[in-house]
Amino acid sequence: MFKVFKYTLIDLARNRFVLGYALLMLLVAQGLFVVEGDPAKALISLVQVVLTLVPLITLVFTVVYLYDSLEFTQLLAVQPIGRRSILAGQLLALSSALLVAQAFGLGLPLLVHTPDLPALILSLSGSGLVLVFAALGALIALKQREKARGVGVALFIWFLFVLVYDALLMWLMFAFSDHPIEPLVVPLAGINPVDLARIMVMLQIDLAAMMGYSGAVYKNFFGSTIGMGVAGSILLLWILIPTMIAFRVFQRKDL
Amino acid sequence: MSEVRIRFDNVGKRYGRLWALRGADLTFVKGEVVMLIGPNASGKTTLIKCLLGLVRSTEGRISVDGKVIGNDPGYRRSIGYMPQISQFPTALTVGQLLDMMKDVRGLDDSALDDSLVDELGMRAHMDKRLGTLSGGTRQKVSAVLAFRSRPQILVMDEPTAGLDPISARRVLKEAGALRDSGGTVLITSHLMEEVESLADRVAYLEDGHLRFLLPVKEILELTGTQRLANAIPAMLGGPLKEADPVHHV
Repeated sequence: MFKVFKYTLIDLARNRFVLGYALLMLLVAQGLFVVEGDPAKALISLVQVVLTLVPLITLVFTVVYLYDSLEFTQLLAVQPIGRRSILAGQLLALSSALLVAQAFGLGLPLLVHTPDLPALILSLSGSGLVLVFAALGALIALKQREKARGVGVALFIWFLFVLVYDALLMWLMFAFSDHPIEPLVVPLAGINPVDLARIMVMLQIDLAAMMGYSGAVYKNFFGSTIGMGVAGSILLLWILIPTMIAFRVFQRKDL
Repeated sequence: MSEVRIRFDNVGKRYGRLWALRGADLTFVKGEVVMLIGPNASGKTTLIKCLLGLVRSTEGRISVDGKVIGNDPGYRRSIGYMPQISQFPTALTVGQLLDMMKDVRGLDDSALDDSLVDELGMRAHMDKRLGTLSGGTRQKVSAVLAFRSRPQILVMDEPTAGLDPISARRVLKEAGALRDSGGTVLITSHLMEEVESLADRVAYLEDGHLRFLLPVKEILELTGTQRLANAIPAMLGGPLKEADPVHHV
């Protein structure tokens, strides 16, 4: 696994898309801090950018990279190494490259402008989302035979998690506003990794107070040690389950 | 009697309702070059992929050196593969790719055969990124990779496609040398003239079935012809379909 990881990472280190991603994040983050003036306000804007961009870029890049590597993956698969080692090496390298790009593009400005706990949670949440969506991207690339279809499914998944899911939750809260549905909204929001990351960061910035009763419910649950543990576990499951399914699919896949 | 290197026992592969390969019973021995031919979608690639472990056969079993291949990838230590399409990580250099494959196969320098590196003029390309190479040069890289680990079994899928005539001849000569040292070489090619002088036997597949697997000499004797390009249609009892590879000769 390490050998595949090492050389895939060398390849990715010179990849224009990864370098572009790092620069884009740096420009956006630095730009927000400069334009907003107030680091706290900039951080709130940055949360939206991170929660939208990170899943999109990670999903699409993972899917495209794995499709473009198909012939080389075939060549690796005829070497005396197991398929698990190949996929583990590739997935680890992809995640590492994107995490390093994110640490440079997002972590550096955060460290310079607002080196505090909310910034750390934002960085960690962003990293968690990279791992979640890289695993989902790998699964999509392995399940769909055609590249265009794979990218389409990736965009649909992103759309679902970032926009549709929230819209459905808001509709639910609006439609049942006469009922005490907040206890239901908490687990529903927690199921979506993007929402989960958003809640974690918002609680640290203390924006939950502006979210009314829902915010209080979120804070009550996710603000506690157990709640944080549960949130961390859900994110971990979002990484592990797609990864395990991807391994299973790759093991049986005809290349 | 030559020693059997690879044995296919009733091997079949089904994609959905379509059998790409059915009832393949054949053996390849040590010290021979076998040419796999047949129309498009005849089952050649599926046969090769089953041996390489790229696809799982639906039925039957394949043995390499007496051991049935399963989930253990160790048997592929003795196999070299030169694919038809040579796509590599674009940002790696040729040297890095060769190092990667050496590491992946767990070889040290003494186990490597770098003769093709020099003979195909690849030494000058070692520091070049793979993404900057022409298709032909990438195919040379592919040839170097296939031979470098001194495999006992070599599978070549359209090995001369994209290569200049001199390099193509050099690669085929190397395949002949491997056969002479006891290796087993399987070649699929549409250019029969290029490989017929090298081949010891010819396997003809059609619609997923093996029509025949015979020594070249026997095919020529049976048909009373001098060239495989003429002999194969005669073996099949008439002119081949338009898509058949022998028409390209």
